[in-house]
Amino acid sequence: MTTATTTPPARRPGPGQARKRRRRLSPHAPFALPAVVVLGLFSLYPLIQLLRMSVSDVSTSNLGQDWAFVGLQNYLDGFASGATGDALARTAIFVLAVTILGMIGGFAAAAALRTKGWWSSVLLSLMVFAWALPPVVNGSVWKFLLASDGLANSIVTGLGFSERPFLYDQYWALGSVAVVNAWAVIPFNTLVFRAALLQIDREQFEAAALDGASRWQEVRHIMLPAVRPTSLVLLILTVVYGFRSFDFIYVMTYGGPGTATNTLPFLGYLQAFTRYDYGLGASTSVLAVAMVLLLAVVYARSIRREETRG
Amino acid sequence: MTLLYGVPLFWIVLTSFKGSDEVFGPAFSFSPTLDAYRDMIGPQLWSSLQQSVAIAVGTTAFVLLIAVPAAYAVARVSGWVSMIGLGLLIVFQMSPQTANVIPLFQIFGEWRMLDSTAGVIVADTALLTPFAVMLLRPFFRAVPPQLEEAAAIDGAGVMRIFATVVLPIARNGVFTVGTLVFLLSWGEFLYAVNFYLSPGQYPLSALLAQQVSAFGINWPGLMALSVLTSIPILIVYLLAYGQLRDGLAAGSVK
Repeated sequence: MTTATTTPPARRPGPGQARKRRRRLSPHAPFALPAVVVLGLFSLYPLIQLLRMSVSDVSTSNLGQDWAFVGLQNYLDGFASGATGDALARTAIFVLAVTILGMIGGFAAAAALRTKGWWSSVLLSLMVFAWALPPVVNGSVWKFLLASDGLANSIVTGLGFSERPFLYDQYWALGSVAVVNAWAVIPFNTLVFRAALLQIDREQFEAAALDGASRWQEVRHIMLPAVRPTSLVLLILTVVYGFRSFDFIYVMTYGGPGTATNTLPFLGYLQAFTRYDYGLGASTSVLAVAMVLLLAVVYARSIRREETRG
Repeated sequence: MTLLYGVPLFWIVLTSFKGSDEVFGPAFSFSPTLDAYRDMIGPQLWSSLQQSVAIAVGTTAFVLLIAVPAAYAVARVSGWVSMIGLGLLIVFQMSPQTANVIPLFQIFGEWRMLDSTAGVIVADTALLTPFAVMLLRPFFRAVPPQLEEAAAIDGAGVMRIFATVVLPIARNGVFTVGTLVFLLSWGEFLYAVNFYLSPGQYPLSALLAQQVSAFGINWPGLMALSVLTSIPILIVYLLAYGQLRDGLAAGSVK
């Protein structure tokens, strides 16, 4: 990228310049056309259809025909049965656990792997590989490790405790799946934090060492400020990851035991595909998408801020 | 940390060589056997492998075909149209897949796209394109517009500038995104489980999802299937690791 040094970086142009550029660069718009067509048909239209289903009475028998309009009945049913409220509470706990563990774990791993030893590069590549594996594979092995006589319980009983029902108890199950989800997102967060930490000038650490700074002071005064700009975006990505997660739930507990791991997105799926009440499932999913809209606004604003900063 | 990530991966491989009576027995003293693999390798496995390859390759090609030019457009066009476009992309990217599968099932039923690999590829493409565009956008933004202007003065058309000036500079981004889309579509199972009407058509990921939620799990068989499903991932990963490590961090938070 030798040219980048001789030409000024592409900053936001002034108002007059912007008008000129927009007119001149408008031939770029057709490049988006294929994506607009595909996403219009298979992303936007389904969302509209989801909205329509959520206010209709749709079951297997009339799925392909006209639906009777029922207004907000599906939404009211969801709340009245308690399923929606419970799922909201579970989702909140689940997302909170995944986010806290994922952010702290990712930062801790990045801080530990910042150095360029061979062990840290082996570990980093191992973590990224685990991250790259399909969630069904990771979910299967964790289901196995957390089974009643699996490895996790062998360790627990070996330490002198009694066996834990990691996946078979309504409180343990939600926690277990959340921890496994955090495990799955930590490698990605580590990569992002690591990239920010690698930007730090080596001299800063040398100066800190000369001043006799402790490891904790290094983290607090050098590393944390360095990752702050990317943290907000990563935080939102992690929240969204936890929120839309369904694959580990599908594989490890399928929403159970009972309804213990029915988060909002998974509840919508079960209502549609195991109870065959597509209207009810759609209404639950619309609530999930509405929550996403909120997060999307925050996300869009924070990446804009990142970009204008340059 | 090493144990946390090493042990699960190691355990998959270890268990896949155990007999079904030794699964929960002592960890290391067992007689290694290939029974689990022998059970799994059969016509079903081969057809599932073919399905996985078709879906992953098809989706990757399709996504790149539409997302690369779209990302370039989104990076260059300014104003309220592109703001709306970006907003929609973010919403699509963040929506839970469980919310897409419900209307798509109905739409595919109406359009006779159920039970077809093309349907799954199209659904996966719609699922992964927003993510691909968002990840590619910063790579195109990093291309200095002055380079394009210089080429334009030399009389090159928009298409030629894109192909000869812009694309080579954004090459790393395209490579990273292509790898990720391949990995994600290889592992995608929710669409496959719901859009194929019989398990005979399932790709490996869906087969795995079906077996793990079945009653009375055959653990060595499941782990053998996990290993077989992961081998292509390992190959892609070994080829692309360096690129992935650097490109992912650069693209996803900028």
